[in-house]
Amino acid sequence: MLTAAENQLRVCFLTIKYNMMREMVNKVTFLTNICFMVLNNASFLVQWFILFRIRDEVGGYTLREVMLLWGLTASSFGLAHILFARVFSLPDLIVKGKLDSFLVQPKNVLVSVITSSTDISAIGDFLYGMVILCICGPGVSGFFLFLLFTVTGAIIFTAFGLLLGSLSFWFLRMDFLENQVVMGMISFGTYPDGIFKGASRFLLYFVIPVGMALWHPVHVIVNFHAGMFLAVLGYACALSAAAVAVFYRGLRRYGSGNLMEARL
Amino acid sequence: MGRCRDKIVSMNVGSRRPWRKYAVIYRSVLMENLQYAANVTMGFFSYFIFIYIFIKLWGYMYRTPGELIAGYTKEQMIWYVMMTEMLIFGSDGAFVARTVAGDIRGGNIAYLMNKPYHYTLYILTRYTGEWSVRLPMYAVLAAVMGTVMVGPLSGFRPKAFPAMAVCVVLGLTINAVFKLCISLFSFWIEDATPFQWLYDKMILVVGVLFPVEIFPRALQPLLKMTPIYTVCYGPAKLIVDFSPEKCLEVLAAQMLYLAAGFGLMVLIYRKGVKKLYVNGG
Repeated sequence: MLTAAENQLRVCFLTIKYNMMREMVNKVTFLTNICFMVLNNASFLVQWFILFRIRDEVGGYTLREVMLLWGLTASSFGLAHILFARVFSLPDLIVKGKLDSFLVQPKNVLVSVITSSTDISAIGDFLYGMVILCICGPGVSGFFLFLLFTVTGAIIFTAFGLLLGSLSFWFLRMDFLENQVVMGMISFGTYPDGIFKGASRFLLYFVIPVGMALWHPVHVIVNFHAGMFLAVLGYACALSAAAVAVFYRGLRRYGSGNLMEARL
Repeated sequence: MGRCRDKIVSMNVGSRRPWRKYAVIYRSVLMENLQYAANVTMGFFSYFIFIYIFIKLWGYMYRTPGELIAGYTKEQMIWYVMMTEMLIFGSDGAFVARTVAGDIRGGNIAYLMNKPYHYTLYILTRYTGEWSVRLPMYAVLAAVMGTVMVGPLSGFRPKAFPAMAVCVVLGLTINAVFKLCISLFSFWIEDATPFQWLYDKMILVVGVLFPVEIFPRALQPLLKMTPIYTVCYGPAKLIVDFSPEKCLEVLAAQMLYLAAGFGLMVLIYRKGVKKLYVNGG
C-alpha cells in the first residue's frame, strides 16, 4: 500500500517535472511569462494605493492585510495551476472523450489527469505571493501559516474546479461555468470581505468558497484563532473528498470517444 | 452563383474604391457574429461580478450621501466603471491579440499577406465586425444594471449620443491598433502575450477602475498623454458627464493617437514580415 502511494507520488513528481521541461524548451518565452506575470500582479498595487489615499482602511483591512490577501490569492492560485492545471480544463477532456488515454494507464486516473499539465505563468503568480509574504513580514508563525494556507487554498481551488468540471459527466457547457466561477472566486478574493454584507457574504463563504480559501486564512494569519484554523483545514479536506467522490461517480457515466490519442 | 460573381467582380474593381473589400469582410464577420449572438450573453456573468464588486466597494468608500471623491458622486463613479468595463467586455480586445499571434505562430500569415488587402486592416475590419455585435449587447446590459442597481445617470445627455458614439468607436480602434502593434512583436519573439498582459493591466488599473482625476495632481497631465485617456477615460467621461469642450479635447487626442498608432503599426508590420520564415506545410 505504502509502496503504491510512493510510486504514485513519484509518477506525479516526474509528470510535473516533464511538464516544466517541455515548457522550458523556449527559455525566453518561459522567463518572460513568469516575469511579466509578477509585474502583471504587481500593477494592482496601484489600485490599492489609490484606495488607501482616500480611506485609512477598506472593508476593515489595512494596506498590509490587503497585500497579504493578494499574496495568498496569487500563491494559492499559482500553486493550483502549477500542480493541477488540468483540473481547470477538465470539461474539455470529458466532452471530447480524451480521458481514454488516462483510463488505460496502470496508475490512479484522477491523479494522472489533474497533474498532466502545468501552467507556466502560474509560477509567476506563486513567486509574487512569496515576494508579498517577504515584504509583509507577518512574523515566524505568520510565515508558516501563510505557506500552509497557500497549500489549503490551492487544494480548495483545485477541489472546487474538480467539482464543477466533473459536472461535465452529466451536463454540457460546464467549461463555461467552471471558468466563470473560478475567475469569479479570484475577483471576489482580491477584495476585503468587509465590503460584502448579507446574502452575498453568505454566498461567498458557503457556496463559492472564497471565504474559506482566502479570507479566513488572512484573518488567522493576522489574529490567530484555533477554531477558524481548524475550520479551514476541515473545509479543505471535506471539499476534496466531495470533489473526488463526484469525479468517480461521474466517471461511471463516461462514454469513450473515438479519438485516437497516445500519452508518452 | 451570379451574386457571388458580382461580388468578386466588385472586389476586383476595388482598386478605385479600396474600402469596398473591407466593407465585404466587415459584413461577412458581422453576419457570422449575428448567428452566434447568444454566445455573447455567456460573458454577462463575469461583467455582473465585476460591477457587483465595484458597487460594493464604492458603496463602502462613500460614507455620506452626496459625498464627492475626485469630483465624482458615488453614482457617477460607479457609472464610470460600468462604462469603461462595458468598453472592455464589449470589445474583446483579446480577439486582435489572439488572432494575430495565432496567424504568425501558426504560419497562416503566409497565406493572408498575399491576399489583395493589407493584413493589419483586415484584422482591424474583422475586429470591428466582432464588437459591432458584442458592444450593443453589453451597452443594454450596462444600462439595465446601472438603472436598477445604481439609479439613473443624471449627467447623461441623450442629444450628445452621436458624439459619444464617435469617441467610443475611435477609442476601440486605437486600443485595437496598439494591441495589434504588440502582437506583431510575435515576428521577433515567439509569444508576445506577456506584453499584452502589461498593456491590458495598465489600461485596467489606471483607466478602467478609476477616472484620471483620482490620481495625484502631478501625475494627471502624464496620464492624459497615455493611450488610457483616449481608449477608456475619454469615452467613459463623456458618457457620464458630457461637455462639448471635453468632447473636442478627447476627439483631438484620439485623432493624434490614431494617426501615430497607424504609422507605428504599418512600420512594425513592414519590418516584421521581413523576419518571416515559412517552413512548408
